[in-house]
Amino acid sequence: MRELEISAKTVEEATRIALEQLGVARDDLEIIVLKKGKSGVLGVGAEDARIKVILEDDYNRAAGAENGEADTARQVLCDILRVMGIGATVEVTLAPDINTPVLLNIEGDDLGVLIGRRGQALSSLQYLVRLIVAEKLKKWVSVNVDVDWYKKRHYEALKKLALRLAEQVARRKRPVTMEPMPPDERRIIHITLADHADVNTLSTGEGDGRCVVIQPGKR
Amino acid sequence: MKEIVEYIARAIVTTPDDVKVTEETDAGGIVIKLEVNVEDKGRVIGKQGRVAEAMRTLLRVVATKEGNRVRLEII
Repeated sequence: MRELEISAKTVEEATRIALEQLGVARDDLEIIVLKKGKSGVLGVGAEDARIKVILEDDYNRAAGAENGEADTARQVLCDILRVMGIGATVEVTLAPDINTPVLLNIEGDDLGVLIGRRGQALSSLQYLVRLIVAEKLKKWVSVNVDVDWYKKRHYEALKKLALRLAEQVARRKRPVTMEPMPPDERRIIHITLADHADVNTLSTGEGDGRCVVIQPGKR
Repeated sequence: MKEIVEYIARAIVTTPDDVKVTEETDAGGIVIKLEVNVEDKGRVIGKQGRVAEAMRTLLRVVATKEGNRVRLEII
């Protein structure tokens, strides 16, 4: 299996070097960004970008063999993006321990369509990746798919909102019902306020209308 | 467009060789017809139609980008 790791100032430059060294076209390569470079200030704190390139033929063959969960998940996501005709790179954040999910972040231009209204397209994409990975590996793997860190940023915003509403609930001693949210977002609210001294949370409603209620009083 | 359905369906059924996907265009836009082995029908539809719905969402993403409409029929 031909693979190669290359460091350079930027991801683009590393990619160019890879193509030159291997003498192949961009389409024949799988490129995994291991580290994005930082330019630093006046050369201080600068960090090289590092990528791993794998020759496509070899990559497909390797997928049939014993392969890591993250690699399989990444390949499935790349395949779906390819059949969808979407040009993007997929960055893998490896799970630091077995209890945290594999995180795949899709990067590229103009990817808002992949998120969709209220993240609907993104959750469909994630669901299908999980389903196909489970089928390939014959076991369930927790895979999270993100687009340009949309979910990460959205979760941060939700945490702030939860804390602000909790203060309001504690002060006015009256419950607040939040907007309907998907399960992963409700989970963020519950987790954020689990240790809060003055409020507790519960979910109410069914299906798409299920929402979190923040109420006064420690459970 | 049909490559999307083809890839996903083949990846989740037990008999990938029986997966047949056709694509045609009518007045309402693109129509994609997915045919699978009877045993696999439940897999491509999913519990409460979740798999079919997810495939439709991805098709819609691509169709919208092309300014088109798309329907997925499972037969």
